[in-house]
Amino acid sequence: MPHLDFSRPRLAAGCRWAGEGENRTLVFPEGVLRLQQTARAILERCDGEHTFEQIVQELQSAYSASDPAKIRQDAIAFLKRLRQKRLVDF
Amino acid sequence: MLDAPLALIAEITHRCPLHCVYCSNPLQMTSPVSELSTREWEGVFEQSASVGVLHVHLSGGEPLAREDLVQLVSSANGCGLYANLITSGVGLSEQRLDALVEAGLDHIQLSFQDSREAGANWIAGARAHALKLEVAPKIRRSGVAFTVNMVVHRQNVDHLDEMIALAESLQPERLEIAHVQYYGWALKNVEALLPTRTQVLESLEKISAAQKRLAGKIRIDAVVPDYYARFPKACMGGWGRRQLLIDPCGKALPCHAASLIPGLQFENVRERSLEWIWRESDSFQKFRGENWMPEPCRSCDRRMEDFGGCRCQAFMITGDATATDPVCSLAPAHGLIEEQLSRVDSIAATASDPRPPRSEQFWIYRPQPR
Repeated sequence: MPHLDFSRPRLAAGCRWAGEGENRTLVFPEGVLRLQQTARAILERCDGEHTFEQIVQELQSAYSASDPAKIRQDAIAFLKRLRQKRLVDF
Repeated sequence: MLDAPLALIAEITHRCPLHCVYCSNPLQMTSPVSELSTREWEGVFEQSASVGVLHVHLSGGEPLAREDLVQLVSSANGCGLYANLITSGVGLSEQRLDALVEAGLDHIQLSFQDSREAGANWIAGARAHALKLEVAPKIRRSGVAFTVNMVVHRQNVDHLDEMIALAESLQPERLEIAHVQYYGWALKNVEALLPTRTQVLESLEKISAAQKRLAGKIRIDAVVPDYYARFPKACMGGWGRRQLLIDPCGKALPCHAASLIPGLQFENVRERSLEWIWRESDSFQKFRGENWMPEPCRSCDRRMEDFGGCRCQAFMITGDATATDPVCSLAPAHGLIEEQLSRVDSIAATASDPRPPRSEQFWIYRPQPR
């Protein structure tokens, strides 16, 4: 399994966005996820093109008031959790 | 404010090449001649999407028995719905699979009756197991998201590890291990199917070990048998709260079994709009919220977690659809469940369960609708 730092995370098979704007929701087999701001910002960048490093950098500039190290840590924990659920592949 | 339904269960036909003894279809099945047409289903999908439904679960019977399935998937996809096919795999050629994926199918759930062929065919009342083993690698190769569903009960749960190993070899993203729920044909066969407490506890240990071992590889979701739970399940996420089911002839139901509750009139999408049925119909409002609840539900802290459990189960076991679900340890009628469980323990203890070769007279198969 490639290391998160160098990978380009993407939504897993069977996992996609539905709805628009405020109602945009992640839909997957037997479930839906309405995401909070940061979580959604991370997942919207899991497109198989952004590298993990780029995702973190974009988040750090978007949330420049927050501690950049904590943003990185939270992103790692979040993506690992979603991989356990087979919602994200990296 | 009333939320929109999240999921539509489209029971597009009751026809099925299998005769599973635990089928959740109602005992009174819909005749093929009264099934909704392609155009009518398309209308249902359009209306569903516009009220806010996200998932459509194409179910049956066997959805592949509908010749227009590719068109239905394409229509659901065109409305922006997440299309999930719940299938036995029987009737799924490579060509048809490709056409379904091309039409925008998001996910396939393939069910298995057992890991052992003889047992699987005995449970399904059909020689289906070998066909499933042929179709699974094709599904995997197609790239569509894939769930394997293993249905477990007293006659197969002892070799759950073998079933998990079979599922693993098929490489799905997700494995659902579903203890039978006792409705429809399953309730007719409850004494043959209900596992013992020891079996249930062992199965939960095996599931939890497999979840740890396969983490990040296969996601395992388990449906536990509510007869052994302390509290009831939040059936369908609450009556008329999260999901609705349209049966093959267009009747709108809050769940698979609801039509057996007497005194309720269920509306048909041929006559009423889906939005009206969801918002206004008496049947969907009947057990919504908490005003209908009896004690001990009414004053229970869990009342908005499990919504008093399942109305159909309450009716089937106590004869009263407004009773607390008898599987709840606090329910006045809980004794009826305990009696059932001790009956099963004594049947299992006297080893009267059949050994192979097993007779088809042992239980009642679900027939074909006429």
